[in-house]
Amino acid sequence: MLELPLVTAGETLDQFINGLTVGMVYVLLAAGLSIIFGVMDVINFAHGELLALGAYFAVAITTAGIGNFWVALLVAPLAVAIIGGAMERLTIRPLYGRDPLYHILLTFGLVLIFVDAIELIWGTQPFRPLDTGVLSGTITILGFQKTLYSYFVIVMGAVVAAGAWLVLERTRFGLVVRAGSMDRDMVRHLGIDIDRYYTLVFAFGAFLAAVGGVVFAGRQSVGPGMGGSVIIPAFIVVVLGGLGSFRGAVAGGLLVGVVQSFVRWQVPFLEGLVVFLLMIGVLLIRPQGLFGSPEWHDPGEGGELLTAAGSGVLSTRRRRLLGGGMVAVLAIAPLGIGVLYNSYVVNTIVVDILIWGLFALSLDLVMGYTGLVSLGHVLFYGLGAYATVLFAVYLLPSIWLALVAGILVAALIAWVVGYLSIRVSGVYFSMITLAFAELFASLALKMPGLRAQINPTLDSLGLPTIPPLTNGDNGIGADAITYGLTGGPEFGDVSLLGEIHLYYYVILALVVGSYLVSRRLIDAPFGSVLQAIRESEQRASFLGYDTTMYKRRAFVVSGALAGLAGGLRATQNLGRASPGFLDWLLSGEVIVMTLLGGMGTLYGPMIGAAGYLSLEELLLSNGIDQWQGVLGIVFVLFVIFVPRGIVSIPSLVKQRMDSSSEAPPEGEPAEVSD
Amino acid sequence: MATADDTTATFGGGEPVLETKGLTRRFGELVAVDDLDIEVGQGEFRSIIGPNGAGKTTLFNLISGALLPSEGSVVFEGEDVSQLRPHQRVHRGIGRSFQITNVFGGLTVRENVRLAAQAAIRERSPFENAFRHKDSFGDLNDRTDDVLARIGLDGRGHEQASTLAYGDRRRLEIGLVLATDPQLVMLDEPTAGMSAEETRATMELIGDVLGDRTVLLIEHDIELVMNASDRITVLNRGEELATGPPAAVAENEQVQQAYLGGGVL
Repeated sequence: MLELPLVTAGETLDQFINGLTVGMVYVLLAAGLSIIFGVMDVINFAHGELLALGAYFAVAITTAGIGNFWVALLVAPLAVAIIGGAMERLTIRPLYGRDPLYHILLTFGLVLIFVDAIELIWGTQPFRPLDTGVLSGTITILGFQKTLYSYFVIVMGAVVAAGAWLVLERTRFGLVVRAGSMDRDMVRHLGIDIDRYYTLVFAFGAFLAAVGGVVFAGRQSVGPGMGGSVIIPAFIVVVLGGLGSFRGAVAGGLLVGVVQSFVRWQVPFLEGLVVFLLMIGVLLIRPQGLFGSPEWHDPGEGGELLTAAGSGVLSTRRRRLLGGGMVAVLAIAPLGIGVLYNSYVVNTIVVDILIWGLFALSLDLVMGYTGLVSLGHVLFYGLGAYATVLFAVYLLPSIWLALVAGILVAALIAWVVGYLSIRVSGVYFSMITLAFAELFASLALKMPGLRAQINPTLDSLGLPTIPPLTNGDNGIGADAITYGLTGGPEFGDVSLLGEIHLYYYVILALVVGSYLVSRRLIDAPFGSVLQAIRESEQRASFLGYDTTMYKRRAFVVSGALAGLAGGLRATQNLGRASPGFLDWLLSGEVIVMTLLGGMGTLYGPMIGAAGYLSLEELLLSNGIDQWQGVLGIVFVLFVIFVPRGIVSIPSLVKQRMDSSSEAPPEGEPAEVSD
Repeated sequence: MATADDTTATFGGGEPVLETKGLTRRFGELVAVDDLDIEVGQGEFRSIIGPNGAGKTTLFNLISGALLPSEGSVVFEGEDVSQLRPHQRVHRGIGRSFQITNVFGGLTVRENVRLAAQAAIRERSPFENAFRHKDSFGDLNDRTDDVLARIGLDGRGHEQASTLAYGDRRRLEIGLVLATDPQLVMLDEPTAGMSAEETRATMELIGDVLGDRTVLLIEHDIELVMNASDRITVLNRGEELATGPPAAVAENEQVQQAYLGGGVL
């Protein structure tokens, strides 16, 4: 067993108070998230950015000499509340009645915009913590010394939370909000304009988040990435407590804060792992969370996934012609190197697009065809990358076998994750996949610490020790991956003609092959059933399909293809895999690409990848550093106006032209009602 | 308990196709279905009637597997299916339609029917299931064509299901049940929201295509039930009030008092 350091009561108390302090920030963040979800079914990924905005506003107010900490504590949240209200009005309102997926996508786009806007205004240098004046002193209670600020945060958090609770319980506003979270339509039929309340609810949530941000800024430095670092724990809090439950947000926030604090203190190598395990455990045993209502039904029921399938532009014949033509163009593209473009265009950009296209294709199988919105798809991509590299490092440096190993490992983990996650549906499924991905991402980072802790024990017992599987931050690399079994020409080194490399064709062939296999699956009875599940899982099961089994199989196939994408990427990355391969932002990006192109078509997401990466390249090469923000804006516009993606644009244009006298166009879902 | 004329206890002779034994389902304090013992005979057309909240749809959910019973069991063709999942009950031969139209709106009419037919033809290799083109199965195509013709939607297979008129969608729904080739067909208010003309056409369709099967029907239209049913079961507050041929049920005093308000019929 591990030896725990000696613990005194004072130290325990110290950690407990630290935990409560951090927990209060989570409470403020999670309460808003939870209320917003409860009332509007909106999962606001940009909530962490609202917290960051609160912190930055506070910094701006104090450094500009407009006011001190106390002024900032009042003014910054009000400013953020206005921004939150505007956000709801302008971007989220058009999406009510669609599947909650679109809120996730939209707010993910908003994250990109906020992050770049903050960088543009305040730069990338972190700011020192706010001067909290009299609160920065220490105070001794019962012989135990601690900064006054910690007590202040706890007391203030408690007061704000109690205030928010009173608003929800005792005011007309609160009554409407609570009623709305139970049955929106009923409230509407009572003659209450609930839409007006939505803006207020959003502003209220933004206000709470910003208070959290100011409090945060009094304790820690304020810098970029702040919003991203708090949003995942906040989701864990919300899911733990129960989506839509205010009490749950409070209890969950404090619990996560304290648990994190103790884990960091006592078992630092497990930091970051424990909360995810906690979340997965709770979701599996009690999916509705600690305080959630068991009758909470899948909020996805009213909404609809807007796939591009059935937009009816491409007949099978035309699709084959265009696809074949595309592959032919890609096959001869390297011939243009040095004539039409330099080798970077083909060997980097096109290869990037192919690999991301494969990743997006894999997501489309589960998201576009089966209706399973996986927020953690990066897990399989990352695992594929690691497994491919590890196979080459420890077993054989053969590219072919290593890629197969990557595919198999990704498929295996997809089976396990799918087995556990597919019991829960809708938003819970999305959350649990995110939790699994984050669990593995932390594991990749914490591996050296884990080894240092566990290996001596294993060694003393005469058991084999754990080899360096991830090398933490540094990543792990295979020196040379070859085309042969143990020797042979190195991958990436075989030049067919000048700058034309063999690996280009290897990747092209594997990606095209993956597309053809996926197309076959979708055109077979298996694929029909997946689409039936997407349309109505209940109906599919009453036709006699074991829908759980079909969903799992789709998930495994998808995981395997994502694993291949990750493996290919690792080989392109000089045979290295690093924790960056498991970054949750990649999950977001691949979702963006899938939707951008048009999900439920297989080729759409690949076009989306091409569009996304080309735009990124265009912006970067023109010296626009805020490319993420620009992409965010493009993406937000797409989610609102072209939800079926790029491939639906021709039919959209056609509809516009025909629609002068026509009835509603075919296949257009009723988006207004829910 | 069942006070109406019970002389035709086992319809058509042999064993009952479907039996519920002490079937009970509670939601908290509420007992939605209370200790029900129902027997449905081979080839029988049985209607379930009762006021709102009588437990009709809950009973359907218990038989089809959407809900598990709190107590008691559902026996189908001699096998206790109470703990089976919905798709397993479909495999045993229980098919159902829904109160609210439930077809695959984003798919074509043909694809809808083919999915149902495909579910019924299960003896395929996993490889074929995953990699052979869905258009290349002759038996599947025949069956799909046949069902489309029987529900009068032949020639409209390419239309997207969500664009069908209401009545056509209800027909498609019946087609889905038919294509799975069930022994027992459960129809939950198949004519709800239809005009008199559509109702007549739909009942004709049901009689036509499901004539030789065992049918369990929930329906509010009393006249329709009286005409179509072999026997009727009346539920009230989760309990069985009476079961018997239409005439006997109509004359039953308890039924008249509890449900029909006396003298409606």
